[in-house]
Amino acid sequence: MRQYVLRRASYALLSLFLLSVTIFFFVRVTGDPAALLVEPGASPGDIAAIHHQFGLDRPLVVQYWLFMVSLLHGDLGQSFYYQTPVMGLYLSRLPNSIELAAVAMLFSLVIGIPAGILAAVNVGRFWDQFGKLFTLLGLSMPSFWIGLLMILLFSVYLGWLPSSGSGTPWHLIMPAFALGWYFAAAHMRLTRSSMLEVLGSEYIKLARIKGLPQTLVIAKHAFKNALIPVLTLAGINLVLMINVAVVVETVFAWPGIGRLLYEGITFRDFPVVQGVVILGGAMIIVVNLVIDILYAVIDPRIRLGS
Amino acid sequence: MSAINPGDSSTSVGSDLSRRELLAVMALGLVAGAPGVAKAAVPADQLTWGIHVSLTPTWFDPAETQGLITPFMVLYALHDGMVKPMPGKLQTPCLAESWTVSEDGMSYTFVIRKGTMFHNGEPVTSDDVKFSFERYKGAAHDLMKAQVDSIETPDPQHVTFKLKKPWPDFLTFYSSASGAGWIVPKKYVEKVGDEGFKNAPIGAGPYKFVSFKPGVELVLEAFDGYWRKKPAVKRLVMKMIPEETTRLAALKQGEIDIAYSIRGELAEELERTTGLSLKPVVLQGPNWLYFPEQWDPKSPWSNLKVRQAVNFAIDRVGMSKALFLGHCKVTNNAVVPYTFEYYWQPPDAVYDPEKAKKLLAEAGYPNGFDAGLMYCDSSYANMAEVSVDNLQAIGIKIQLQPIERAGFFAGYSSKKYAKGIIQGASAAFGNAATRMASFVIKGGAFSYGSYPDIDEIYPQQADENDPKKRTALLDKMQQLVHEKAVYAPIWQLAFLNGIGPRVGESSFGAIPGFAYTAPFEDITIKGT
Repeated sequence: MRQYVLRRASYALLSLFLLSVTIFFFVRVTGDPAALLVEPGASPGDIAAIHHQFGLDRPLVVQYWLFMVSLLHGDLGQSFYYQTPVMGLYLSRLPNSIELAAVAMLFSLVIGIPAGILAAVNVGRFWDQFGKLFTLLGLSMPSFWIGLLMILLFSVYLGWLPSSGSGTPWHLIMPAFALGWYFAAAHMRLTRSSMLEVLGSEYIKLARIKGLPQTLVIAKHAFKNALIPVLTLAGINLVLMINVAVVVETVFAWPGIGRLLYEGITFRDFPVVQGVVILGGAMIIVVNLVIDILYAVIDPRIRLGS
Repeated sequence: MSAINPGDSSTSVGSDLSRRELLAVMALGLVAGAPGVAKAAVPADQLTWGIHVSLTPTWFDPAETQGLITPFMVLYALHDGMVKPMPGKLQTPCLAESWTVSEDGMSYTFVIRKGTMFHNGEPVTSDDVKFSFERYKGAAHDLMKAQVDSIETPDPQHVTFKLKKPWPDFLTFYSSASGAGWIVPKKYVEKVGDEGFKNAPIGAGPYKFVSFKPGVELVLEAFDGYWRKKPAVKRLVMKMIPEETTRLAALKQGEIDIAYSIRGELAEELERTTGLSLKPVVLQGPNWLYFPEQWDPKSPWSNLKVRQAVNFAIDRVGMSKALFLGHCKVTNNAVVPYTFEYYWQPPDAVYDPEKAKKLLAEAGYPNGFDAGLMYCDSSYANMAEVSVDNLQAIGIKIQLQPIERAGFFAGYSSKKYAKGIIQGASAAFGNAATRMASFVIKGGAFSYGSYPDIDEIYPQQADENDPKKRTALLDKMQQLVHEKAVYAPIWQLAFLNGIGPRVGESSFGAIPGFAYTAPFEDITIKGT
């Protein structure tokens, strides 16, 4: 078990290292940040001064070395645009992203799981067809478009909800729905297929032969087993929701990590982009590591097999 | 009421209501019960802005001002300058009530206005003025430090800048093209340090800093001790809303009172909405077409008539109507904005495709020619597309090559686009002389060639301290640029904004060429 954990942890570290190399060099392919910090027509002297200020006039390898040294000390550098430590910026936005992701996740589970169960027990009937439509729309409509439509309907025409910003529970409703619909659709699909698989199994047939009521068969015997893959997916999705809500957070001016990444990309703020991607990547890698370890604890065949 | 049909999935067993009817009743309930539930009460003495960019703490400190116009969006509220652009005049005495220039042009003495104070109640003194200049590290830092020999502060009300040699552009840079003339409190900055100052800035402007949440909002409160006047609006909130559609929705909903940058179809929608008003502002940012091959005798562009033909071929007014609701200003001066010092007004631009064709024929190109590529900043590719169509109409075939902004300006300044046409722009601060230096004369950062008769005038005007004589020289330079058709001017770009029904005076356009609302102390709320 120890060897297994060590091996998984070393894979995780290697992944983080590769992520740092990739993001460091790829973000520099996007162009020169100095050009976005001055007006068009600024003199080459102004641009050179900015290069010097941010250390961009040094060789790339030296920049990478300095970046890694800082990273190992827990320092993600100073934002070019905000002129403030990236770690501080990230931590100031993280609670907002967690709040949005938590509500979006709640919405996706509250809608997705019951709808998946209803679809599975009513195959080919109204709820199944309705679920398919819900899934199709959720997976195919871009979240920015859903967001804009919601703003138009609920803010502009009906005047029920604030169009953007944060601060009250009302501000959360539209961004959480726009973010959560896609995931609700994914959770619904998985719940449906998982339920169908479980409902077709021998022990469910036995429970029905024994004369157990349909609700008890579904709620007690089928649902519990069908829920395991859904919750595993939901755990990973929660981490994704925290880190990838770039479009939704921008449309609703929600001050989270996704918008920070958008700002970083917009202004070629290399330290911000590097920091957000590495911390987001680290979150996903750690969650996967924990899942791997938990699987190995639960099922010894996994660690023995590997 | 429909009957229940077995097998009809649209009906609900055990109920008299169909599912469709049930959903309709629920929706009606929501419509009836929820309106207005989420509308937060906005204080009557507060105005809220929807800002299109993310504010950064570096904009709270005049010492950090790069060559960007955007930081002045905040500087005008928080800080004040010795001399700064104000309604009606570019160099208006503010914290300085007056100044004198020595006869030899070697020194500028400013008298600080009595009664001016910072938000912490301390008076503005000559020490603060000297300190603010010395700590300035923005874009024009090297240039200004190279020109200023020493700063003398004989008493708290007087400060004298001694130059190494006469520099007629000193006031241009000190008043607007840098943050060096915007005054910060020396004692406070020394106490809290640069970082502390950016986190809790204290200035001498009409509004005090209250709070800042990066990426969310900046809150400011009126400073009753402001020398010019007591601001009419008690509290300003600048909310950052990056998405244009969301900004317009927030304006319609009354969540914000002023929205920056609403373009194209959204601007038309804004204009159509009752209660909202479109506020276009002409920026100090001209757009132009440039012919980098004009110094190559083998190129068609070396022929003056070909370049003049392009000037006649561009439908500037039509382009402005189509893209900016007609609010761009056609000045026909390619690189110098009309708000700049030493601006020269050329004859009006004329759109005459027939004359353009005639000129091309006279130049030996009756069927036009293949001009290669037109390079442009991709953000303004829509403008370039119209120019391409206009040129195509007179027989000049050209293919559009949009390049993302940073790459485009890097390529432009490194003289990479030596063939074809460049669609350029500049919103940099300065005056006619600084524009000539960058875009016209030999060695200019964006000059691909030059004309000796224009080059010859440049050093003469730089050494000329008599404003009248200098004006004549700079007029001559701009006139030559126009006559030689070095450029085909397009316009000065319009920046479209919106205001809501609560706003009385918005201050949009009060300071010529400035994109944002200022002076803030002049802004009012209706009925207060």
